[in-house]
Amino acid sequence: MISERSGRATVQLRRLSDGTVSPLPQLGRHQPHSSPSLSWNARYLAVITQRGGRRLAVVADRLNGRMHPLPLPGGRAPIRLSLAPDAQQLALQVTDQGQWRVELLDLSSMLEPDRPPGQALSTPAVGADP
Amino acid sequence: MSRVVLILSIVLLVGCSPDRPTPRSDLNGLLRQSVSSRRDPSLGSRWLASLGQRNGRERVELVDLQRRTPVPLPGLNRSDAQPISVSVSADGERLAVVQQRDDRTELLLYRRSVGAVQRLPLEPPGVPRSVSLDGQGKRLAVQVSRNGRWDVDLIRLP
Repeated sequence: MISERSGRATVQLRRLSDGTVSPLPQLGRHQPHSSPSLSWNARYLAVITQRGGRRLAVVADRLNGRMHPLPLPGGRAPIRLSLAPDAQQLALQVTDQGQWRVELLDLSSMLEPDRPPGQALSTPAVGADP
Repeated sequence: MSRVVLILSIVLLVGCSPDRPTPRSDLNGLLRQSVSSRRDPSLGSRWLASLGQRNGRERVELVDLQRRTPVPLPGLNRSDAQPISVSVSADGERLAVVQQRDDRTELLLYRRSVGAVQRLPLEPPGVPRSVSLDGQGKRLAVQVSRNGRWDVDLIRLP
């Protein structure tokens, strides 16, 4: 969720089981933040940031600390976003010729899937019969 | 010789460039069709919920991204209601909607398999603005205006 920190809209990740706030060192600046969206296990957090006076969608990978900026063609600015639960797609609301549009981006070449808890993997176990 | 070096440099640069997001051109074309405007996207595993405007009126719309077809939502869109926010569960079965109707802003849960709309009361009362379902569709976070400030309420769903 977004909360005010030192007067700046900043994304905050709170663990629902115990209420603790998880650190997001990759997202400590580039405020204001808006439109946060999480993958299944909260490995990935997508959010709109502000850099150099322009809005930029980014995906933070909490497992390895990497940030993935997602610049839009034509320098368009994102307004809202939604990350697919497995983080393989992102939907972005943008403005195009005065109208709102929703555009889909395929992230499968950038991000490993964040699979739902308990989902069996298709890779056979070592030593398993073919 | 310089041409060979240039080609080699380009090949190396392309080979070393980081992977980039790819626009889903096929689906983006579909999303532009038949609506004058579309906003408030919410992605499930193979579903996209959004608010699409046709003939000056906004409606909640659900698209099956795998089959590339819109999905009917019988009983959800009313002629006397204006949707404000929508969120879909990962399996596309549940949609949470904030809508304005008769000067009242209400929070709804729609179950697609039974075509049923359930109104979800807020305690203490407040004005819902934006909604987000978790992937399993069992928990809902809703941004609520109360006494001049924003709260986020968590609601457990059966």
